[in-house]
Amino acid sequence: MGADVNVVAASESGCHIFGHGCGFEAPGVGLFSPTPWLDFGLPGAAGVNKYYLVAAVALIIAAAFWYFTTRRAKVVPGRGQSMAEMLVGFLRDQVTRTTMGKEGDRFLPLIVTLFLFIFCMNIMGLIPGLQLPVTTSLAFPAVLALFVFLLWNIVGIRRHGFGGHIKARLVPGGVPAWILPIVVPIEALSNFVIRPATHMIRLFATMFAGHLLLALFAAAGFYMFNPLSQMGALYGALSVGYSAIALVGFLVFTAFELFIMAVQAYVFVLLTSIYLGEAIEGAH
Amino acid sequence: MNGQRSAKSDSQESPNANAATLLSYLLGGLAFWGGVGWVADWALGFSGLFLPIGLGVGLVGSIYLIYIQHVRS
Repeated sequence: MGADVNVVAASESGCHIFGHGCGFEAPGVGLFSPTPWLDFGLPGAAGVNKYYLVAAVALIIAAAFWYFTTRRAKVVPGRGQSMAEMLVGFLRDQVTRTTMGKEGDRFLPLIVTLFLFIFCMNIMGLIPGLQLPVTTSLAFPAVLALFVFLLWNIVGIRRHGFGGHIKARLVPGGVPAWILPIVVPIEALSNFVIRPATHMIRLFATMFAGHLLLALFAAAGFYMFNPLSQMGALYGALSVGYSAIALVGFLVFTAFELFIMAVQAYVFVLLTSIYLGEAIEGAH
Repeated sequence: MNGQRSAKSDSQESPNANAATLLSYLLGGLAFWGGVGWVADWALGFSGLFLPIGLGVGLVGSIYLIYIQHVRS
């Protein structure tokens, strides 16, 4: 949980408060564009970079969690198995059952997998040495949201047929026919474009902003730490005090960010479950 | 979206989910009808005549949809 590697690397110019007079350089969006290790020169592609590594680590952690907690499952569960069962029970009771009823149990494996995978991708921002939440790259939430959108359509079409699903999503019930030309395009844009887009952006933007805030506190703490200030011992002591305040802010926001990481994973799967519930339900 | 789910879990529906749906309705209405107004302005050679009308229609349509889907039911 030390200062972000990228932030420290960016601050190696030696600028400190009460120092040579150079100012504070806040971390920018460059944090989220790691240098590619392999670049194939494909247009619009960032190459093979740190995101690949942290995504792989997140996947391994999620898979290892299930492997180690369930490999010797017993009727009387141990500590690990209890944790896994609590997670499944929580998501079943709070997400799938409340939005889809008993029918939601069919989607429980998907919801549990999505939740843990997203949570693991999020907490990569707090793992020392990695410190890059995978979901701060728009591509990852986009693929997950696209997958949910496709599944939503597949479930709706299988349940109600193509016409039935499209009609259910476009024509709201109880609306006079003369108002339909106004509201049908709104329903279409809302259901088929904006909803998947907001599903993706919500996760991406929250993690992006949260990580930037942590990086800002880390960079500020580094910048303000100048005990050997040329301006005298008093200023040196003052800088250490300032730096300590930034460090406390960093720690507080790290704890808060951990909470947000779990909440965002929960919100993503809750919305997934609601959308699938709508597709099962059909007409308004 | 108000059939079975509302009947079985009115009190349990997530505020987040409601907020997400309402937001997508509002954005959808403003984007679509605002876009239609902007295109009408551009095609007919007006400047800022149909755009506000389109935004107004979109806003009213969105609020009507929200009322139909989430308030009246």
